[in-house]
Amino acid sequence: MDGKIRNWLSSQPIRIKVLVFGIIMSIIPLLLTSYYYYSNVKADLENRILANQKLVLQNLSSEIELEFNQTFRQLQMATTLKQQGKQQSIFYDLLQQNESFEEIVITDDAGYIQKKVSRYNLNIPLQNEKWFSDSFWSDFQSKSKTFGKVEFNQFGQPIVKVMIPFIEDGKQKGIGAIIQLQKIIGKISSLRQEDSSYLYLLDKDGKVIAHQDYSQLWKKHPSPADRDVIGVQTKINDLGWTLVMEQPASTAYEPINHMFRNGLYVAAIATIIVSLISVYAGLYFTTPIIYLEKGMNNLKTGKKPAPILLNRQDELGKLAEAFNEMSRELQEKSLRLEQEKERLSVVVAGIEAGLALVTKDYKVTWMNPLLQIWLHNQDVHLPCFTLLGGKKEACEDCPITCPELDANGNSIMKTKGENGEERIFNHRVFPLNHAMNGEGEFLIVIEDITEQKQMEEKMIQTDKLTALGLMASSFAHEVNNPLATINVFAEDLIDRLEQKDTELDDEEMALYLAKIKENTERCKRITSNLLNFSRKSNWTVTHIDVNETITNSIHLVESTLKNKQIKLTTELPYDLPVLLGDSLKMMQVIVNLINNAIDAMEKAGQLMITAKVEHNSVIIQVIDDGCGIAPEVLSKIFDPFYTTKPVGKGTGLGLSVCYGIIEEFGGTIQIDSIEASGTTVTVRIPIRKS
Amino acid sequence: MMKTKWYFFILIIIIVSVLLNIYINHREDSPTKIGVIMMGNSRVEKLTGLKKGIRELGYKEDAIEFDVKNAMDNEKTLQEKIDELIKEKPALIVTMGGVETLALKEKMEEQKTKIPVVFAGVAAPKEIGLIKDYRSPGGLFTGINNYHTSLAGKRLELLHQLVPSAKRFFVLYDKKIKVSVLSLENTIDAAKSLDLPIIPVNVSDPKFTEFLSENLQKNDSLLMVPGFRMESLTEKIANIIIENKIPAMGVYGNEVEEGILASYGSSFEEQGYQAARYVSRILQGNSPADLPVELPDSIHFFINTKVKDELAIELNSEITNLAEFIKPVREGAK
Repeated sequence: MDGKIRNWLSSQPIRIKVLVFGIIMSIIPLLLTSYYYYSNVKADLENRILANQKLVLQNLSSEIELEFNQTFRQLQMATTLKQQGKQQSIFYDLLQQNESFEEIVITDDAGYIQKKVSRYNLNIPLQNEKWFSDSFWSDFQSKSKTFGKVEFNQFGQPIVKVMIPFIEDGKQKGIGAIIQLQKIIGKISSLRQEDSSYLYLLDKDGKVIAHQDYSQLWKKHPSPADRDVIGVQTKINDLGWTLVMEQPASTAYEPINHMFRNGLYVAAIATIIVSLISVYAGLYFTTPIIYLEKGMNNLKTGKKPAPILLNRQDELGKLAEAFNEMSRELQEKSLRLEQEKERLSVVVAGIEAGLALVTKDYKVTWMNPLLQIWLHNQDVHLPCFTLLGGKKEACEDCPITCPELDANGNSIMKTKGENGEERIFNHRVFPLNHAMNGEGEFLIVIEDITEQKQMEEKMIQTDKLTALGLMASSFAHEVNNPLATINVFAEDLIDRLEQKDTELDDEEMALYLAKIKENTERCKRITSNLLNFSRKSNWTVTHIDVNETITNSIHLVESTLKNKQIKLTTELPYDLPVLLGDSLKMMQVIVNLINNAIDAMEKAGQLMITAKVEHNSVIIQVIDDGCGIAPEVLSKIFDPFYTTKPVGKGTGLGLSVCYGIIEEFGGTIQIDSIEASGTTVTVRIPIRKS
Repeated sequence: MMKTKWYFFILIIIIVSVLLNIYINHREDSPTKIGVIMMGNSRVEKLTGLKKGIRELGYKEDAIEFDVKNAMDNEKTLQEKIDELIKEKPALIVTMGGVETLALKEKMEEQKTKIPVVFAGVAAPKEIGLIKDYRSPGGLFTGINNYHTSLAGKRLELLHQLVPSAKRFFVLYDKKIKVSVLSLENTIDAAKSLDLPIIPVNVSDPKFTEFLSENLQKNDSLLMVPGFRMESLTEKIANIIIENKIPAMGVYGNEVEEGILASYGSSFEEQGYQAARYVSRILQGNSPADLPVELPDSIHFFINTKVKDELAIELNSEITNLAEFIKPVREGAK
C-alpha cells in the first residue's frame, strides 16, 4: 500500500505533489489540535454530566424518602391519637395533611378492614374486605413498617400500600394507607431534562415504575449495558427502589461532537482554500517548468522551440532566460555543426586519400569510399594490420600498439593494384582524443604515393645521370691513364717479343703482365664504380658500411679533385656502425655534396669529409672552404630546380634529391654556410637495429 | 475559458462556505407552539396552572409559545376557534374541559387531523369516549381525569356527614351534558348505599329554579354535579340556597367563593398545573396513547364559613378537619 502511494506520488506532476503537500500540511495540524481538545473536553464534559446527574438524583431521592418518612410519622401519630377516641377526625385530618393518601384503613388482627376513610370513594368497607396480599401480610407480621408492591387502582393509577402495626386490646392491628404515586412518578417522568437526559424509577423487583419514556413503563429494568449511556443511580432506602438518571452518550457528547463537526467544516473550508492556494502555487511554480519541458522536448525532436517569456525575475525567470539563450546557441551550433559535417563529408568524399577509423583493438569501424575502392570492398571486420598491411601481427611502430610513440606511424605500404601493378601508399595513424570508446579511437590516413615515388625516382636518376655527365671527362681521363699505361707496356712487350729480346725472361714478362693487369683492374674498378653509380634501382635496404660508401664516392670524384687540385682530407673512424638503407642512394648524396663542394671551390681548396657517431646517429659532414652560400639563397637551397650554378653546370635537383633521400633514411640534412668562407653540410642518419 | 473555469470554481467555494456557515449557525431552537382551547373565562385558572406547571418543570418562557383560543362561553365560537387552532398546527393542544375536548375530538375526526391533545381536567373521559383505557388511552387524547363524576357519590356522603340534619338531597344536574348525567347516576348509586333520599333536578330545564323554590323545605340540601352550564349557574343557585336557607355542595372552590356552602373536587388551577406534566411528556417524545390518564393530585374540600353562618346550621366538627375554610369574594352573593 505504502509502495503504491509512493509510486502514485512519484508518477504525478509537481503541481499535484504541491497540492498534496499543501493539503496534508493544512489538515494534519488542524486535526491533531482538534483531536487534542476533543479528548480533553470530552472527559471534562462527562464529569460535569455525572456530577449534575448525581445532584438531581440526590434531590429527588431525598424528596421521596422524606415523603415516605413523613407518611409513616403521620400514621404513627394517628395510632397515638386514635387511642384518645378521635378516630374519624384523625383520618380526615390525615387526608387533609397528605394529598398522596387515597385511603386510610384500620385492620383487625386477621387483616380485615375495620374502618375506612377514602378520598374518592364512600367510607363503607365491603363485607370481609381484605386489605393485605399474602406477602404483604407476611412482612407486616415481622416488620415495624411495611411496604406493598406498586399496584394500580381501578382508574389505572399507580399506588403503593403502607402499613404500621399497633396493639389494641392486646391484639396486633394495623393502620395503613394507600399512597398515590402519580405525583412522584409524574414529577420524575415529566421533569424537563436537558440534552435528552432521562430519569426512571425501578421498584425493588427491578420493574420500571416511572420513566420519562412511557413506553418503558412497567417493564423490567432496561439494560443500559446494551446502550451507550452516561448515567448514575441511587438507591432509596426502605422502599428498595432505585432511581436512575441516564443520558445517551450520543447526545451527551453532542456539544463537543457539534464543535468537532464545526471543526471539520472549518477544516473542509480550510482544505478547499489551501487547495486553491496550493493549486495556484503549484501552477505558479510548475508552469515555467512545463514550458521548459516542452521546450526541451522540442529541442530533442529537432523543432525550433519558441522563446519562453516569463515576466519574473526569480530563479525560474533566470532559468527561462538561460534556456532561451542555450536554445539559441544550440541552434546556432547545430547549424555550424551541419555546415562542418557537410564540409567534412565533401572533404572525406573528395580527398585523394583513404581514411579509416580504427579501435584500440585494430578493428576498422569506418572507411571512406576511396579506401573501400582501394581495398576492393574487403571485409572491414578484419584487423587493420591485416586489412591494410596484409600482416598477421600488429605493427610495432604503430601508435595503436605503442601509444607512447610520438610519431604518427608514418610508413610506406605496398600493394598490388587491380592490374597487378605495384602501388605505394603512405600510411599515417592519428589518435582521436574525443572519440567514443569502441567507435574508432584512431584515424588512419592512407595516401597513394606511387606516382610521387616514381617521380622522385626519376628525379634521383636524372640527378645521378646529370652528375655522371658532369663527371664524364674526369671519368675518361681517369680511365685513359691506365689504358695508356697498358698500351705502353703492351707495345713494349710486343716489340721486345718481335725483337726476340733475350733479356726478356719470364720474370720480366710477368712484371709486364702484372702492370697490364693492375691497370686493367684499375679501369675495371673505375668503370664498375661508374656503372654501379649510374644504375637505376629502387630503394633497396641493405647494411651500409659508411666508410666504404664514402670511399667509393670519393673514388668517383677523385680525378676531379686532382684536376682542381683540391686537397681532400677524411676522418673516418673504423668502428662506425652499420646503417640500414640503400647504400647507392647514400653514395649519390655524398657524391652530390662533394660535387657541390668542388663547384664551390675554384681551385686548390680544402675539402674535409668526416664521419662520427653522436646521439645514436651517424653524422657525416662535408666541409669546404669554398665561396659559401648567400643567406638569402640558403632558405631556397633545397627547392627543386633551384640552382645558382651557370647553365650547363647544374639542374637544381641535387640538394632536393639529397633531402628526399636523407628523409627516406629518417635523417636530417643541415647546411651551415658563411659566404666567402665555406660551407659545412651535416647529414644525420639515425642508427636503426636490423 | 481557463479564467471562466477559475471564476466558476471560486464561486462554488464561496457558496459552499456560506451555506456551511448558515448551517452551522442555524441551530437556534424555535419555540414550541402549544394550542390552548377554553370554553370561557371560567377556565382561565387552568391556563394559569398550566403555565405555572410548565415553568416549574424547567421550560424557559421563550421555549413555549401558547396559542390560546377562548370561546367566551359560546358554543358556535368554540367551533370556529377549534378550526382556527387546527389550521395553525400546534405541536399539541391543551383543552380546558370536557366540552372543549369533545368538540375538538369531533373536529379532528372530521378533518382527520393528528395532533396530540391533553385535556386539563375532564370528568369520566373513558365513559364519554375520549379514551379507551385509563392506563393506555390508545389515541391522541390523554390528560387529567378530574374524577368529578365519580366523586359525585363521595360528595353526597360528605354533605350528609357535614350536615347531619339534612334529610333530602336535591341533585342538580344537566340533562344535556353526558358527564352530568353520569354524575347523577353515580350519585343515585351512592344514595342507595348510604340509604339517602335524592331528588334529581335538571338545570337545563328553564323552570328548575321555580321547581326548587316550590319544593325546597327545611332539612333539605342541594348537591351540584359537574356540567359546564352548572358553572355559569353558580350565582343563581347561590341565591336560591340563601333564600331557602339550605346547605349546598358544589364541585369547585370558586363555587364556594360565590356562595355555595361547600365543594369537593380538584381546583381548576391544579388541573392545569397537573396537565403541564402531560405537555412535558409529549414534548419529550411520548405518545399520548401511552400516557396513562391521571387522577387529580389533590381534591379540595372547601367550606364557606360565611354561608355556614348565614344558614345557621351545625356542621359535623369531625368532618371539618378535612376542609379548608374560605370566605366569599363576592359580598353581593345573597
